[in-house]
Amino acid sequence: MLEFLFNAKSVAVIGASHDPTKIGHAVLENVLGTGFRGKIYPINPANAEIMGLRCYSRIMDVEDSIDIAVIALPAKRSVEILDECVAAGVKCAIIVAGGFSELGDDGKALQNRISEKIKGTRTRIIGPNTVGVLFPYSNLNTALTPKERIYYPGRGEIAFISQSGALGLLTMDSITEYGLGISGFVNIGNRADIDESDLMQAFSEDSHTKSIMIYLESISDGSKFYETLKRVNLKKPVVVLKTGKSEASSKAASFHTGALASDDRVMDGILKQAGALRALDEVELIDYGKVLAYGKPLRGKRIAIITTAGGAGVVTTDLLTSNEYGPALDLAQFNEIEIAEMKKATLPFASVANPVDLTADGGNETYDIILDVISRSENVDGIIAYALPQTPKIDTGIVDILGRYAKNKPMVIGVIGNRLAKDVLRALEKEKIPAYPSISRTVKAMKGLHNYGTFLDRREIS
Amino acid sequence: MISDSGIISEYEAKQLLASKGITVPEGIVVDCLPQTLSLQFPVVLKVSSSTILHKSDAGGVRLNIRNMDELREEFSVMQTKFPHSSFLIESMAGRGAEFIIGVTIDPVFGHTIMIGSGGIYTELYSDVTFRKIPIDKTDAADMISSIKSKVFCQGFRGMRIDCRTLEKLLVRLSDIVMELGTIETMDLNPVIVDREKATVVDAKIKLKLR
Repeated sequence: MLEFLFNAKSVAVIGASHDPTKIGHAVLENVLGTGFRGKIYPINPANAEIMGLRCYSRIMDVEDSIDIAVIALPAKRSVEILDECVAAGVKCAIIVAGGFSELGDDGKALQNRISEKIKGTRTRIIGPNTVGVLFPYSNLNTALTPKERIYYPGRGEIAFISQSGALGLLTMDSITEYGLGISGFVNIGNRADIDESDLMQAFSEDSHTKSIMIYLESISDGSKFYETLKRVNLKKPVVVLKTGKSEASSKAASFHTGALASDDRVMDGILKQAGALRALDEVELIDYGKVLAYGKPLRGKRIAIITTAGGAGVVTTDLLTSNEYGPALDLAQFNEIEIAEMKKATLPFASVANPVDLTADGGNETYDIILDVISRSENVDGIIAYALPQTPKIDTGIVDILGRYAKNKPMVIGVIGNRLAKDVLRALEKEKIPAYPSISRTVKAMKGLHNYGTFLDRREIS
Repeated sequence: MISDSGIISEYEAKQLLASKGITVPEGIVVDCLPQTLSLQFPVVLKVSSSTILHKSDAGGVRLNIRNMDELREEFSVMQTKFPHSSFLIESMAGRGAEFIIGVTIDPVFGHTIMIGSGGIYTELYSDVTFRKIPIDKTDAADMISSIKSKVFCQGFRGMRIDCRTLEKLLVRLSDIVMELGTIETMDLNPVIVDREKATVVDAKIKLKLR
């Protein structure tokens, strides 16, 4: 589904320009500069050559089939040029311009003309009012922000569908800090054709994608969204950030149910019913998306905590076990054999109760021994481990050790600090081990694994 | 007795639910008080109207009437207050945990079903949860576990209820909405649940206008 997006072989940029202030310039630069290996066709009647590429007057002049045509022209002109795209058999037109349904009745009428023009044709539309798409596995980047201004993520396992272009780009720039990659990004914009449900379905069939993040301000088709979400989430976990918490309409106020049915409450219920996680901001969206892509669903509630900083263990315990501001998970109880095995590896004053506190003497090797015990334990369902490189016996070598156990049981890593800690976070990211730079985010990630595991249990899926 | 707004009377709403296998209190609708009553006391007396939506606020509900003498007295007061009205006399439901269950149409997702911890304090605590119709048994169980009153399933302060019955009621209501296709909004408030049954004590239903 939507194969032309995931494996585009040719891209045309209509409105490509020499002028760096033009969007057609930045788009072409991104398509070229990201190393897209298919054919690239700048379209602009005013030029014979742009950025060393032959420039065509009209898209029909290109003697090749075109998978994607980015239309970087003003709104009215974009709609006119669509006829030529349809005639040229373009598979997908990405309409960048704003000035459509977001601008009232006239804009809506203009957007309706897009829908009319593609009706019965094989041309599909992304946008209008979109910053573009990014597919790292085919090096396709049609975004309109130049590379001097943001970092674009590389290849990864998380799909990102966003109704907001700007927040989408900002979020992508943020996640590059620790090297998190994506399997694809699409800014759906005003959704004249392809919507969030179509993309959710397409990403669920994409072999690179392990989890899906969606940012939405409105839902284009409620029933289609719910049915797709429910089906897709069984296969690949979905995280939704939905804004616009408007109140229930007053017309229903004579009924309590109607008065209580705010958009927010209904959305909350719909997501629970489909088993999808709900994020409240862009950081949660990414954190949940990452843990669901990398981690195993948590089937059970018993968590073992291992740390070299006692305080981190205590705060984690408070957050983790709270039913007011945490996921109300339990601390695992080790049996005597396990305790004895752990005792052998630790100093007399270290604690091998849960949380296991190795103190500043704890090192990479001690982690290896402790993790070996608790990852084999039948009393443990999930592990939170802190990797804190501020003491002498811990260094980035701990990443290999953590990696060995991360596939056995649901595991989330917390890393606190800056000087050496950020390197550890980057190294963990490289190994696709879910790691977070704060205690609360670490605990929330475990909550994400718990939520998905509970959903699978409820639906009796092993 | 469908009003212009599509709202049917409480009695009709309960008859509709009863015909679909849902438990409602035994009751009769009368214009004047009969000589004898086959209902078990205590009873409740309510004005029966599709136009008075908040009967309690309008003074149209008398609870816990213990015998025929008390009923006669209350009936004449009610008749003075609401002349030319009909009245519903019902056996009082027993003790149990109170819930609100409702159905409404969401502009984006269509029919949704709600359960909340209940009775008159629902709106104070806003402890409610919604799901899209249709729901299955798993959804119903998940709905109940999403609200604070789930504690009554395990027992709390001497009150223990049968949550399987409540699950079944939710699924049944979802089925009825799908089957009939004519229900627009529904407030069942309160629904009283004990160890054996879930009784719809008050019901307000609005049908779609054609």
